[in-house]
Amino acid sequence: MNWPDLSMGGYGFYVWGSYIFSLIAIVWELWSLSHRKKAIVQQQQLSRSVPASVLRESANETTS
Amino acid sequence: MNIYKYASPATFYPVAGKMIPWFAIPSAILFAVGLFVGFFVAPTDFQQGDAYRIIFIHVPAAWMAMLLYVLMAIYAGIGWTFNARLASMMASAIAITGAMFTVLSLVTGALWGKPTWGTYWAWDARMTSTLILLFLYIGFISLQAAIDDPRRADRAGAVLALVGVINVPIIYFSVQWWNTLHQGATIRILGKPSIAAPMLAAMLIMLAACWLYSVAVVLIRLRCIILEREQNASRFAEVGV
Repeated sequence: MNWPDLSMGGYGFYVWGSYIFSLIAIVWELWSLSHRKKAIVQQQQLSRSVPASVLRESANETTS
Repeated sequence: MNIYKYASPATFYPVAGKMIPWFAIPSAILFAVGLFVGFFVAPTDFQQGDAYRIIFIHVPAAWMAMLLYVLMAIYAGIGWTFNARLASMMASAIAITGAMFTVLSLVTGALWGKPTWGTYWAWDARMTSTLILLFLYIGFISLQAAIDDPRRADRAGAVLALVGVINVPIIYFSVQWWNTLHQGATIRILGKPSIAAPMLAAMLIMLAACWLYSVAVVLIRLRCIILEREQNASRFAEVGV
């Protein structure tokens, strides 16, 4: 097993920069997915609280 | 067993939920193993020093960017041809992950280019065609977001995805067709790879990790899209509109 030099032979900025950027991108994707799912659940709860008559009215407005 | 029943978003939704851990957990394990092999087992390159270790994220990201685009175009094409809603939803679910891997390949490529070529960016064939791939992904995502009717959005997106798929072989063969700054293929389908075995192992493990990650994330996003598209329809159906 070779213990890597943390400075990466003077290329630390480029090597660690690549991996840190990749980590940020993956974390952002997972966070945005969890945020999206939460928003959907909230919207579902809101939709269930809307009375049927209001929904019918809104459907008539969009179709007429 | 009728496998066609899984073409229905409502039927596929719980199946996708059950599949996610089977991809997400091995993906996390393979990322850890790949990074371990890449940083602790693979030796320092005699020409590039440790800067070459960017390869373990750059090459898998670039391959995933191309592969996901082809998959997105296939699903979009199936959705368009057979009017299959789930296939169109799958194409939409793939797009963001594909765009993310394209950004990763461009950024890590730029960070690798500076110490090896002396520049972050050059308008050479490989880099320019990869940038075009990113624009195609952004175009697909924007087009779908701009059209309110999901069916019309799917059709418009499918046209763009299918036209843009011509860019994938251009990216792949660009280093052979044109005289580019970018190095040639490290791994060939036929023939011996041009890198040491531990380097190749780390790269392939990271590729498998990225692939499993993509499947897990696409399935999570697909479930979100199914909920978004179907919830309004089911709620309106409930109240008889």
